[in-house]
Amino acid sequence: MNRWRQLVRHRLGLIGLVMLGLALVAAITAPIIAPYDPYESVRVGIEDIYAQPSDVHLLGTDDAGEDILSALIYGTRVSLLVGFSGALISLIVGGLIGLVAGYKGGRIGNGLMRLTDFFLVIPDLALQIVIVAIVGQSLRNIILVIGLLGWTTSARLVRAQTLAVRQRKFVERARAVGASDFHILGKHVFPHVLPLMLANTVLVISLAILAESTLSFIGLGDPTVISWGQMLNFAFSRGAVSAGAWWALVPPGLAIVWVVLGTTLVGNALEDIFNPRIGRHYLEKEKPSTPEPARVPPSRVAALSIRNLSVGFQGDDGLLLAVDDVSFDIGRGESVGLVGESGCGKTTTMLAALRLLPPGGSIVAGAVHWGEKNLATMSEEELRHLRWVELSMVFQGAMNALNPVKKVGWQIAEAVRTHIPGVGKAGADARARTLLEVVGIPPARADNYPHEFSGGMRQRAMIALALAANPELVVADEPTTALDVMIQAQVMDLLSKIRRELAMSMVLITHDLGLVAESCDRVVVMYGGTVAEQGRVEDVFSEPKHPYTQLLLQAFPDLDQPDRPLVSIPGTPPALDQLPPGCRFAARCPQAFDRCHQERPPPYQVSNGWEAACFLLEPSAVVVPGG
Amino acid sequence: MSRGRLVLRKVAWALVTVIVVITFNFLLFRVLPGDPAKAGVRDPRLTPESVEAARVRFGLDKPVFLNLEGGGLFDSQYFAYLGALAQGDLGESYAYNNRTVTELIGRSLVNTVWLVLPAQILSIMIGVVLGLLAAWRKGTKLDVGALTFSLFMWSLPTFFLGILLLFVGSRTFGLPTAGRVTIGADAGFAEAVGDIFSHLLLPTATLALVLLGEYMIIMRSSVVEVFSEDYILTAKAKGLSTFQIIRRHAFRNAMLPIVTLIALNLGFTVSGAIQVETVYSWPGLGKLTVDAVAQRDFPVLQGAFLLLAIAVIFANLVAELIYLRLDPRVTEA
Repeated sequence: MNRWRQLVRHRLGLIGLVMLGLALVAAITAPIIAPYDPYESVRVGIEDIYAQPSDVHLLGTDDAGEDILSALIYGTRVSLLVGFSGALISLIVGGLIGLVAGYKGGRIGNGLMRLTDFFLVIPDLALQIVIVAIVGQSLRNIILVIGLLGWTTSARLVRAQTLAVRQRKFVERARAVGASDFHILGKHVFPHVLPLMLANTVLVISLAILAESTLSFIGLGDPTVISWGQMLNFAFSRGAVSAGAWWALVPPGLAIVWVVLGTTLVGNALEDIFNPRIGRHYLEKEKPSTPEPARVPPSRVAALSIRNLSVGFQGDDGLLLAVDDVSFDIGRGESVGLVGESGCGKTTTMLAALRLLPPGGSIVAGAVHWGEKNLATMSEEELRHLRWVELSMVFQGAMNALNPVKKVGWQIAEAVRTHIPGVGKAGADARARTLLEVVGIPPARADNYPHEFSGGMRQRAMIALALAANPELVVADEPTTALDVMIQAQVMDLLSKIRRELAMSMVLITHDLGLVAESCDRVVVMYGGTVAEQGRVEDVFSEPKHPYTQLLLQAFPDLDQPDRPLVSIPGTPPALDQLPPGCRFAARCPQAFDRCHQERPPPYQVSNGWEAACFLLEPSAVVVPGG
Repeated sequence: MSRGRLVLRKVAWALVTVIVVITFNFLLFRVLPGDPAKAGVRDPRLTPESVEAARVRFGLDKPVFLNLEGGGLFDSQYFAYLGALAQGDLGESYAYNNRTVTELIGRSLVNTVWLVLPAQILSIMIGVVLGLLAAWRKGTKLDVGALTFSLFMWSLPTFFLGILLLFVGSRTFGLPTAGRVTIGADAGFAEAVGDIFSHLLLPTATLALVLLGEYMIIMRSSVVEVFSEDYILTAKAKGLSTFQIIRRHAFRNAMLPIVTLIALNLGFTVSGAIQVETVYSWPGLGKLTVDAVAQRDFPVLQGAFLLLAIAVIFANLVAELIYLRLDPRVTEA
């Protein structure tokens, strides 16, 4: 089985399996490998009590003169028996309750969940003690008590998982065709809940083993069997500490640690396999990046000059290039549209330029010049002083880009206070309210939390936030997608107005070519992590040179030619791990020829500042220097 | 739902849970096999007449829930129990003559609080800081160390850790091994404080270490989750320093699940306290419970269990109310 192989390959999981396996072998072969039979009573002399480890007794003897090693080996039986059978009971009870609670919902589901909640607040060891004390301390009772009281975690987990599976298509379909609840639960829901339950099982086993040893230590173990908890109880309460007999205390304790650690390691490994988490975050320490230098010198007049930028992500099988050798400029006060289908590297390019790549991503090559400085190689600390005052950003998906537990006004005022010295608390707050008013949000709403805003309001609040410190460059990533057409126009007018007033540069990342036509000076068309074409909006939009640009424009409605049929581009952009050796667009290009599949086209200069990376331009145009 | 009503609902739910716990506790000691309520009058030396007299004295001759035989519907064992409980009367101990359960429990509770509170505060503070550092420097030696520590703490039974610390502490450093103070010591104020401290040191350290492993691992995963949220990227783009991001944007959000989990883990704390008190003969609720089991002193066992359960319910309620204050989004139960 594939999962089984994964578990064996998981290093810690394998160690855990081996630890458990050894315990299991010890339990099964106890009568053979144990040097003495601890259940057989022997006559002992005073010198046999707490005898030190020796050749006769490898781990010494206990308070009754019995061999500790033998007792230890036999104790494995009780531990594993209680662990496995207790966990089995917990899982059956908890699994059934969880399945029903999750599947049925309504009154029954709620009632069952209330019951689980109730047992969750009862201190479990205290309850185990009380019940064992009442029903009597036999091994059977201990297993039953531990098993029957350990169901709550499984029930919660299974319920959550069942709730999730219940919404899925195949379950709804089965219900629609009239399958019985029993059939659906058994055939469709249970198989999907099982993997997670497996990881949970292991946790329940270790809890059961710990519970048994604790009960035994407290004096509630079954007096007729030998268990590790009981060995510790007897040794501890019969003077092992004052006798200095560590050998009567440490081995049984370590034995418990051994099996619990083994089970926990297996459980963690299963959790990793069934429920993998990426587990990277935005504040990880960045490795100092040393990108390959750019081949082309930066522009002297541009505000931001991106040269030969390549961005890689660490994949399972090596580095994946999401952005490959991209160069373009953003002039001072200029507005540049960055267009292309989803997954073409537009956002990644700009995140890399602002050094905001998600963890795992890094600038592999190239330079990003901001005036005299190269943002690609700057230290995080230096960069911090440029952020928001000089370089700011409106993030895509404003849903989670605002902190849910801080008031919106406070979050804007925070940016103001951080970057505008001497503004003071009241001043920052007043500016936050003004900014909100500018983007069409009543200033009083500054006291609301993000969840009290509509999607459109959140997006506008993000724009207000981006403008908080009068930045020189704003990167706006799909700033108007969540807005209706009227508001969209207002917001874009507003951005254009502010841009002109402050002589601010802007990069507009969008799918909306109409928006670019209205509000941008230049356009950069990206495809498969490369620049297909770039130039002035009038030029590129009226006479597109790259077949991709042509198709993109044909796919977009034109107000001047309402009768023109809209053409969609068949296929999808290439996946990052399957990039073709030639032109990235060749597979979908209606005009592609042999060379396009073998060689990557360099950017050809159409006229000053207008370039397209396509071999079709070869006869007349020259290659852009360094391209 | 308005937040005021939400608070009321939480309080009401806690009260309902308390009533359920009281009933559950009552039933546990009446219905389960072994009839423990009669254990106190099951002394073989007693004559049948005196047994019957004792049954009448303890009210065991009455119906369990509702009295349908006349003499008032509520003239039953359950309502007698509720009535006594309302007056703070939990019965009399079988084992300690002339001592009421309330008195025994009250004294033990104070001692348990002395043990649990410092351990709880220490482990939460250190656990939160270490968990935060481990998450921030994910994958570094510090992080791996924190994870390994938590894993071992999880696998180590609390009582065994207690025994180990006691063994080393008493034999190497001569620290006291049992009780709260040295009995019969006649010394000045400074010595008395030192004496109390030396008794408190090992039990507190044991409990704190066990809780620390738990809190650290919870905090770590909570912080990792918050650090991967989009608003952290916004905060970084704003030009805030890492310290500012953590203090203003990550800490409170990461504390949200912690508050709930600490509350949910109070059962874990109680279990730890029972074990630590047993190892160090600390005269608290845990030891009282364990001694009551050994002596089959059911009224004390019943009272102690009730108090432990109610303490956890109450602490849970406090945690939920704190959560409500921390998170403005919560608008439904």
